[in-house]
Amino acid sequence: MNRYGPFNWILLLLSSLVLLFIVAPLTGLFLHTGAKELFETAGDKTVQDSILLTVWISFAATLFFSIAAVPFAWLLARKKFPLKSVVQGIIDLPVVLPHTAAGIALLGFISRDGLLGKAASLINSRGGIALAMAFVSLPFLINSAKDGFSAIPERLEKAALNLGASKSRVFFTISLPLAWRSIITGFVMMFARGMSEFGAVVIIAYHPMIAPVLIYDRFSSFGLKYARPAAVLFIIVALVVFTVLRLMSEKRRSVDPKDENADS
Amino acid sequence: MLILNKISKKLGDFQLTDINMEIPEGTYYVLLGRSGSGKTQLLELIAGLNVPDKGEIWLDGEDITNKGLQRRGIGLVFQDYAIFPNMTVFGNIAYALHARRTDKKVVSERVEKVSGELSISHLLGRSIQHLSGGELQRVALARTLITSPRLLLLDEPMASIDASLKDDIKRLLRQLNSKGLTIIHVTHDYREAVSLANMVGVIHNGRIIQEGIPDQVFRKPVNKFVARYSGIRNFFRVEFREENGVWSAVSKNKVVIGLSGSFYPDEGLLIIRSDDIKISPMRPDSGSENCFRGTVIDILPSEFGMEITIDAGETYYVDISSDTFRKYPVTVSSEVWITFSPDACVALDSKM
Repeated sequence: MNRYGPFNWILLLLSSLVLLFIVAPLTGLFLHTGAKELFETAGDKTVQDSILLTVWISFAATLFFSIAAVPFAWLLARKKFPLKSVVQGIIDLPVVLPHTAAGIALLGFISRDGLLGKAASLINSRGGIALAMAFVSLPFLINSAKDGFSAIPERLEKAALNLGASKSRVFFTISLPLAWRSIITGFVMMFARGMSEFGAVVIIAYHPMIAPVLIYDRFSSFGLKYARPAAVLFIIVALVVFTVLRLMSEKRRSVDPKDENADS
Repeated sequence: MLILNKISKKLGDFQLTDINMEIPEGTYYVLLGRSGSGKTQLLELIAGLNVPDKGEIWLDGEDITNKGLQRRGIGLVFQDYAIFPNMTVFGNIAYALHARRTDKKVVSERVEKVSGELSISHLLGRSIQHLSGGELQRVALARTLITSPRLLLLDEPMASIDASLKDDIKRLLRQLNSKGLTIIHVTHDYREAVSLANMVGVIHNGRIIQEGIPDQVFRKPVNKFVARYSGIRNFFRVEFREENGVWSAVSKNKVVIGLSGSFYPDEGLLIIRSDDIKISPMRPDSGSENCFRGTVIDILPSEFGMEITIDAGETYYVDISSDTFRKYPVTVSSEVWITFSPDACVALDSKM
């Protein structure tokens, strides 16, 4: 029975351990939260507002930034330019930075003395939260969209140009629809990442309180027991939103063409 | 008239060098070359997908070297057709008209018309996923023809369709050309050149090494490469005929050559590759093979051994290896027998 040799057993064991490591704390969290507490917290206006705020600010930030980020991703996928690898590195920077450091950097940028702060005060505002969320989550959208654009055979765009379409028309009728799935995936990832951001946001805006800050606030002020139901609630909302968006993009996939039919 | 004047273009390790071409309107030009010879790159330069480093491209008296590819009026059909997978067949064919903001009614009229001409009207509502190679090719052709291009560029149009469809598509291309459309057709298959072209160019390592009418290029190749590559110095205009189910070809000099297979056209071209012909000093036991007696006219060393020219009613060019030549040396004006199998004869319907 080669299939069940020792190597496979070890693989199975290691994989189970990793999976358990992710699932166990979450399960514990759910098991330790009583239904009564959960319902009470769900009825709490502060918690409701905070979760709603988190979801819509993250969504708005993702939508707003995608207007510029998606064409930028196309540029990265298609064009060669000097220092491209440096640009690519800059895009990935927010992923490796400690998020509190990102928050501090942003704070300098938007504070009254900073570049943006002179125009409008963003500290402790929804706009500031949106910027902090976008700062740390943009790489997910850009990279996913870029992969999507790279996967389109360039010939399709050239064929469209050859048929007399303008560059912008080619972008909107060929590149964008064919990369749609990757763009949506990137969108969902940026949205989800933005929603769960704590470090950068807490430095820019403690108030209005987004859900991760609220959970932290309850924990530091009242302890674990009070933080838990809010955490569970937020996780449930995040999971529902995430699943719905995933399903929507899956549905798109089924109508989306597989790939190019040709033999290249 | 398309004129390429001293076109050069460096593409990575590869280079197109000093390409000159003059293609009068209405020409069916076949550009023959192996993969990696630069034939597709040349097409892309003409279409405007790339810009040459040096030289000029003129079309109908206009310098289009730096003109955007959207405005050249040159249709390019890619080897893999590059059909847009996110649109239906109708969407693909109508794409160019939509880009020109054509009136909706006119769009559907013109799509109907061109798809009718290419016999794909029944496919219009379909998505492209389940179309066959031949159908995809027709969609690609329709999509390009609807723009009424001044020049049609075809990249290996026969490469990925079934053999049974090749005759159909050849007929279609001839028809388009006979209506006055200038066509440049890139291929690695000399048979397409023989059966379609009225002008042939051979490209090798990024240079055009020979150009002219097919007869000239194939009968008088400028160098061994062209001879070897085209591989068809033995080709005869013949009439095909059938007797008791057995087909044969009769050349202008009344040489009768036995064929295998059936259903040949009335007349056409018969091709025998030079390395498919064997030479022997005495009459061999030939069985069902074609066997003729002839006289050696010329012996030339070639890249692959020796090339022997033999007059046996028709003039045959025969390639033999150096080893064979050492074992059976032949001399000029000596008498030899040539044999070749009926299977080695390739018949082409060359009616234009």
